Amino acid sequence: MVAVPDNQAAGASRARLLRLGAMALGLLLFIYVARSVGPQKLGETLVTGLTQGAMIALVALGYTMVYGVLKLINFAHSEVFMMGAYVGVFVLGAIGIANPLLSFVCTIVVAIIGSSLLGITVERIAYRPLRGRGRGALVRVTPLVTALGVSVLLQNAAQLFFSARYRSYPQLITGSMDIPGVGPVGKSRVIILVVAVLVMIGLELIVKKTWFGKAMRALSSNEEAARLMGVRTSWVISSTFALGSSLAAVGAVLFCIDQSSVYPTMGTAIGTRAFVAAVLGGIGSIPGAMLGGLLLGVLGELVKLSSYSGSIDAPVFVVLIAVLLVRPAGLLGSNRAEKV
Amino acid sequence: MRVNHPTRAKAVLPEGAPLLEIADVRVSYGGIKALKGISMKVMAGEVVAIIGANGAGKTTTLKMLARLLPVDSGTVRFRGEDVRDVPTEEIVARGMSLVPEGRAIFPNLTVRENLELGAYLHRDKVTMAETMADVVELFPRLGERMVQEGGTLSGGEQQMLAIGRAMMARPELLLLDEPSLGIAPKLAAQIFKAIRTIAKSGVTVVVVEQNTRMALGSSERAYVLRTGEVALEGVSAVLAEDPEIQKAYLGG
Amino acid sequence: MMPASGKGVASVGKKAREPSKRGWAFAAAALVVVVVLELGLERMIPDSSIRQLLMLAACNVLVALSLNVINGMAGQFSIGHAGFVGLGAYTSAVVSAHLHEAMGGGEVTFAKSFVVVPIALLASAVVAGTFGYLVGLPSLRLKGDYLAIVTLGFAEIFRLLIATAQLGEKETIGEAAAKIGKDGVVGPFFHMLQVGITSLGGQNGYAGPKNQGLPLYAGPFWVFGLALVLGVLAYRLKFSGWGRALRALREDEIAAAAVGVDPTRYKVRSFVIAAVGAGIAGGLMAMNRDGTPTVQPDNYNFQASFDAITMVILGGSGSVTGAAIGGVLITFTVKAIEAVQSTRVVQDLKSSVPWLDLNALRMMLYAAVLIALMIWRPEGLLGERELFQKQKLRPLKLPKPSPDHPKPDEPDRAPAAAANEPAKPVVAAADEPAKSDGDEPEKGAPP
Repeated sequence: MVAVPDNQAAGASRARLLRLGAMALGLLLFIYVARSVGPQKLGETLVTGLTQGAMIALVALGYTMVYGVLKLINFAHSEVFMMGAYVGVFVLGAIGIANPLLSFVCTIVVAIIGSSLLGITVERIAYRPLRGRGRGALVRVTPLVTALGVSVLLQNAAQLFFSARYRSYPQLITGSMDIPGVGPVGKSRVIILVVAVLVMIGLELIVKKTWFGKAMRALSSNEEAARLMGVRTSWVISSTFALGSSLAAVGAVLFCIDQSSVYPTMGTAIGTRAFVAAVLGGIGSIPGAMLGGLLLGVLGELVKLSSYSGSIDAPVFVVLIAVLLVRPAGLLGSNRAEKV
Repeated sequence: MRVNHPTRAKAVLPEGAPLLEIADVRVSYGGIKALKGISMKVMAGEVVAIIGANGAGKTTTLKMLARLLPVDSGTVRFRGEDVRDVPTEEIVARGMSLVPEGRAIFPNLTVRENLELGAYLHRDKVTMAETMADVVELFPRLGERMVQEGGTLSGGEQQMLAIGRAMMARPELLLLDEPSLGIAPKLAAQIFKAIRTIAKSGVTVVVVEQNTRMALGSSERAYVLRTGEVALEGVSAVLAEDPEIQKAYLGG
Repeated sequence: MMPASGKGVASVGKKAREPSKRGWAFAAAALVVVVVLELGLERMIPDSSIRQLLMLAACNVLVALSLNVINGMAGQFSIGHAGFVGLGAYTSAVVSAHLHEAMGGGEVTFAKSFVVVPIALLASAVVAGTFGYLVGLPSLRLKGDYLAIVTLGFAEIFRLLIATAQLGEKETIGEAAAKIGKDGVVGPFFHMLQVGITSLGGQNGYAGPKNQGLPLYAGPFWVFGLALVLGVLAYRLKFSGWGRALRALREDEIAAAAVGVDPTRYKVRSFVIAAVGAGIAGGLMAMNRDGTPTVQPDNYNFQASFDAITMVILGGSGSVTGAAIGGVLITFTVKAIEAVQSTRVVQDLKSSVPWLDLNALRMMLYAAVLIALMIWRPEGLLGERELFQKQKLRPLKLPKPSPDHPKPDEPDRAPAAAANEPAKPVVAAADEPAKSDGDEPEKGAPP
């Protein structure tokens, strides 16, 4: 049960070498792309990519935090994200956009509340009964099947109740602003980036400074020891679900402001990418999810520049599998031996 | 080390009543009877060792006390209160802290964060700072390593951290599971010295130890477990002279 | 055949070589039945949609049986099984269509099927098995849920690559291949791959090299016959030494490793077996006599993988007959809903309740049943039992009983084995590299 520290000096230096190599390779690739598309186009691509990436990261964080405390891939998270987007659509539809800022804030707040409630409910109803079931033949498969079931249930519920049609948000923020060195960028993009970064800073503070954050990390690290300290596991788990779902809700509203439509399978479309980002960065690692999200966002935009015309998800998965082959725990995941 | 000041209002323990009393406790898991009805009494301020061979039920006893294993039958009273069905999360609030076998520190949290989590139920800043100063006084090495991640410490340092973390909760009863396991002899001696210091400050200590000589040398009384039952009990110094014990556990 | 058919299958084969009289009788009867079905199914069931349903059910039983090897018996979790089914389907489609051309086209006859079907299915099995190995090896070496992640990725890549391939270029794969070496190697190679994938028809599906429809060689003889043979094989696999080793691994990996069961090897092999089975099932689907003469990428999407999981879980993880029942059940409900969708009543209902989406309702129901099962009966309908079980599941002998809490480093774990020796048990020691430190600081200590 003891986590083995990442202590082999040889292993560490090899890992460093690998990281340096990967960085150099990435840099070369980047220079190559930059030269072939020119600085103007590149700046635009980068801003778009970072915006996309920041939103993906917000969703990825939910996967990673829940994995941290429960060691469970919460497939239902993408559906919480989707429901957050629907809540946003309905709220905006109800209050209108007479005052864009007020509407924006209201939408985010209500979406956060709705998603958190959904996240907590999912945990209570579907995951909690499975906990503490000791072991058995299917102790690993059972929670995954449940999570998958919840995901399919929610997605089809949305299909049934909200219909499969695409809905789009009213344009909340219009116009563009000039960013030196990059050129004109849509105002909504800038707002998305700023909000996402602020939320991530806030999250970092919560995780590092508050007792809840410490308890959450302790629980991720060693559940039994955390309980011995007096940490109430079920409370921390519920709060983690609420926090992760809130981030997904913010991500959902931002996505919609960025002209994405809302539809029942959007969770699969965007949630899958977020999940990949979480695994890429190292599932269970919070900075990893942020890094993974940003990388995927930029990667997606760069792919769009190339002659490849298919879905972005194929190269995204190829990159994921390639990274996992070299670094099984992801880019920033701890390579400590996992609990058996 | 200062005598602890428990924050939770507790029933006053009557004079002469044991701090911890377990009677005829049976524990089984996976169909195996791990404890077949053991009884123990620990008075406030005592240092009690539990010794015995592998699988005798030593770790099970401590885990049972920390409520990490369910009790089949028997009674467990701490400070006169029945704690048989108190969840693990609450045991520490009652004044009992377990240092689990294998340390179980939080490897990717810093040493300071590890210690802070020990005080999870005592978050008052002033008290926490005082207790932390006490712990650092006890284990100066931890003071030098405050910002390092727990997982980067050596085994002995991790054990110090685990004990320090448990002390952050200001327990009345400290349960230690194999504090010398896998640790260089020099550091193990240091750790046992620290345990005696802790005991002198008024904390009751129950220590499970494979190193019988060390355990008997630093405890007042001891219980010898054999296949889930109490085989012998008595004053440590007397037990250390017992020929049977010497033969079975002291290699001579 | 495969790297997969190592010890387990071999031992099954050995047993099968000395079957009882009843075994022979059963085999002969089965042979007669499938031949009769082959020749007479059209007359017995004139409605081709029902025939298609029956054959599809048999194929789905194979899908469920193969997924059961990895998700049920080995206790791993693959959520991209449809990817392997699709791989098998496309391979068989391409191979059978080209073979058909090579044999001069013409009628699809039962006699010719003895050439086409075995070759096509063998190709499907090899391709799916190879990809199974490539996907399984890196992901099963790691602890955690990497198999789920990688299989999900694999299935999506497979589907998206085919579905999003752009049509329009009129280059054959031979022409593209000829360019390798002439205009460099890497670029033309990828170009060839692209041409190859594009020739699979994109979103519209593949219908043979000249787009005239696939030759459908797999009649009831092949479909039911193989379902039966592979079902029996799966059953024997479960009760073989191999199956016991898998079960031991699933219960307690460390203890199983201690008695010499190499976890990675067993897991990877069972994953390859599962992929091979899926490939064969896919091949049969593609060549299904009463099916459609095309293969389409969307038949192998995530929903198909989820259906496969439902089949296994519903029937009972680890149960062969359970998986078969699950396969039949799911196939029939899917079709039943399709049938109900087109009835007059539902059409009328839909015009008044426009949001009524029966397929969504079906999926919701499945998901709810699955969640409820996981909470109240995680072992599924049959659990690990079989419908007509005679043999008892013998456990692999482990060095010691496993208690409730899998703590490898807990010395109190086996009180029974505890004599007076102070040495730790082997199993525990193997898991404690961290503890044997000589107390050196492990990372740069501050000066």
